[in-house]
Amino acid sequence: MTKTISIDPITRLEGHGKIEIFLDDEGGVKDCFFQIPELRGFERFVVGRPIEELPRITTRICGVCPASHHMASAKAVDGCFGNEVAPVAHKLRDMYYHAHYIHSHIAHFYALAAPDFVCGPDADPATRNILGVVAKVGLEIGGSVIKARAMAQRIQQILGGRFTHLVWCLPGGVCKGLSKDELETIKPMVRELSGFADFSIKLFHDVVLANPAYVDIILNGPYTLDVHNMGLVDENNAPNFYHGQVRVVDFTGREICKYKPEDYAQYVAEHVEEWSYLKFPYLRKRGWKGFVEGLDSGIYCATPLARLNVADRMATPRAQEAFEEMFQTLGGKPCKALMANHWARLVEMLQNVEMLERYCADPEITSDKFRVVPKGITGEGVGIVEAMRGTLTHHYTCDKNGICKSANLIVGTTNNNAPIQMVTKKVAQALIKPGKEPTQGILNMVEMAFRCFDPCYSCATHSLPGQMPLDISIFDNDKLRWHFKR
Amino acid sequence: METPSQTRNIPIKTLLLGMGNPYLSDDAVGIRLVSDFSRRHGSIPNLDVLAECSIGGLNLLDLLENFERLIVVDSIKTQGGIPGNWYRFTAEDLRETMNLSNVHDANFATALELGRRMGMKIPAERETHIFAVEILENLVFSDRLTEDLEKAYAVYSEEIYRELCSLIGIRPL
Repeated sequence: MTKTISIDPITRLEGHGKIEIFLDDEGGVKDCFFQIPELRGFERFVVGRPIEELPRITTRICGVCPASHHMASAKAVDGCFGNEVAPVAHKLRDMYYHAHYIHSHIAHFYALAAPDFVCGPDADPATRNILGVVAKVGLEIGGSVIKARAMAQRIQQILGGRFTHLVWCLPGGVCKGLSKDELETIKPMVRELSGFADFSIKLFHDVVLANPAYVDIILNGPYTLDVHNMGLVDENNAPNFYHGQVRVVDFTGREICKYKPEDYAQYVAEHVEEWSYLKFPYLRKRGWKGFVEGLDSGIYCATPLARLNVADRMATPRAQEAFEEMFQTLGGKPCKALMANHWARLVEMLQNVEMLERYCADPEITSDKFRVVPKGITGEGVGIVEAMRGTLTHHYTCDKNGICKSANLIVGTTNNNAPIQMVTKKVAQALIKPGKEPTQGILNMVEMAFRCFDPCYSCATHSLPGQMPLDISIFDNDKLRWHFKR
Repeated sequence: METPSQTRNIPIKTLLLGMGNPYLSDDAVGIRLVSDFSRRHGSIPNLDVLAECSIGGLNLLDLLENFERLIVVDSIKTQGGIPGNWYRFTAEDLRETMNLSNVHDANFATALELGRRMGMKIPAERETHIFAVEILENLVFSDRLTEDLEKAYAVYSEEIYRELCSLIGIRPL
């Protein structure tokens, strides 16, 4: 008789998701699926709107990474207007985005990832949360986390004029520059964040790396995949979260391709499965070969670890040191141990704070030449940034009056859809044993598989005409069938 | 007659939030209610209004510091609930409304508890008031309420408005 274990709703994941694990007659894991019942439809919703409104509308896709959508959208709109952008505007946007990264990475590490390590994977679910983390590491550290997040938030507010859901970027630049007084307000906060980034790396050493059991889970656990890596890099192949070219490197370290944002459709395609609203991107030239690992597979990850795997170096010195140490500890680069994503976030955070330091010392940053008024409409633009959760692509076309004709979004989490499916199944198969009722700890360790990706399904699901159906899953002894109905 | 500019100072520093997404049908009802309140009264000393708040979890905690009272207007879906019905409760008997539940970092109750443990100056549970309007639809894109909720708007918006005035300590206009 077939038994189904459902974990619903998934905890510590943005948007509603459901894992279903299907056991065979012997009680082993036969299959494992993610079900994403949410619907988003911004690609249809924005058609017919003035194209310059899209950076303001698309921030509403998600309350977690609205700035990522704002930036990618702004860059796509820049393209529709001929791509002439004030240089200082690029700097200001990048500066803002580093603060946004810090804000997000702190939340993920301390509120989402840390409970698994600090409290332990098999801790009582009622205490396996940020309150449990604070109880273990102390109020002082908890206070530092809150303060650091607040400072990262405040920097965003000063730069962008509001703390979330920006209305800041315009075609050709931004609507507000940075005054010298505002810069002086930001500087001490950047200094504190810089110290906090160092502290977070130290905490990872003390709590995770000092525990042999956790290191064993990272290096030898089932949380690995032989799939490729994707990330945005600068001209030196260092990670760049706001600007650059997309580089894809296979899991042996060999470059597969490197492309400009406007060429994305030549390199990436999306596979559709009837049981999910969420598409499955893959490398077009490799083709869709199913949920398979290997050098011939078209499946890739776009995560913090993937970004470091595709990079030859970091863009800043302290991040470079942390980058070298991380890969040395993990046995070399690229690294396939997905749990190392939590470490990679902290390495990225070092680059974020160092870049903020650079901008604070840049005399051009307070320039009042923060916008170039576009001279014409070219009708098409592609913007790619690295959302915290993966490479984010916005592609728009518009008519000669600037009215949106089409929009295509490949959202950060969407890139990771296939790897998430695959690693969740792999972990379930490794941990759930025939004849043994899975414990809460085991089920949490299955959830830990997707938490490596920090997935955010509220914005990853895409357009379908009509209304959101309710989800129902049906299983018979030999064949799994999925039905969606209103 | 009292004009908006003559509205008297309210006794404790209060934050009024309209929660929701403006493009997800009925999810925007809290935004509309708080926007209407704000339009009706204008600026009121000691009352900060954020009519359009689409964040949750720890992000929400960042907003609350240094306020003595929090008033949230949000949407809710309950079993068998009738669209347009509304509920009022405090954080002492918190129920999860649509936008106060957050699975990405921490839900509202956890965020409040964390803030208190950290010694942040945030509103006490008894001073955290939630108004939740029963809704029908929050998964379909629209910048309008569903028909039933729109039809009932005049009634429940006025009821909530008067309740808000009473809670805040100002005279209805």
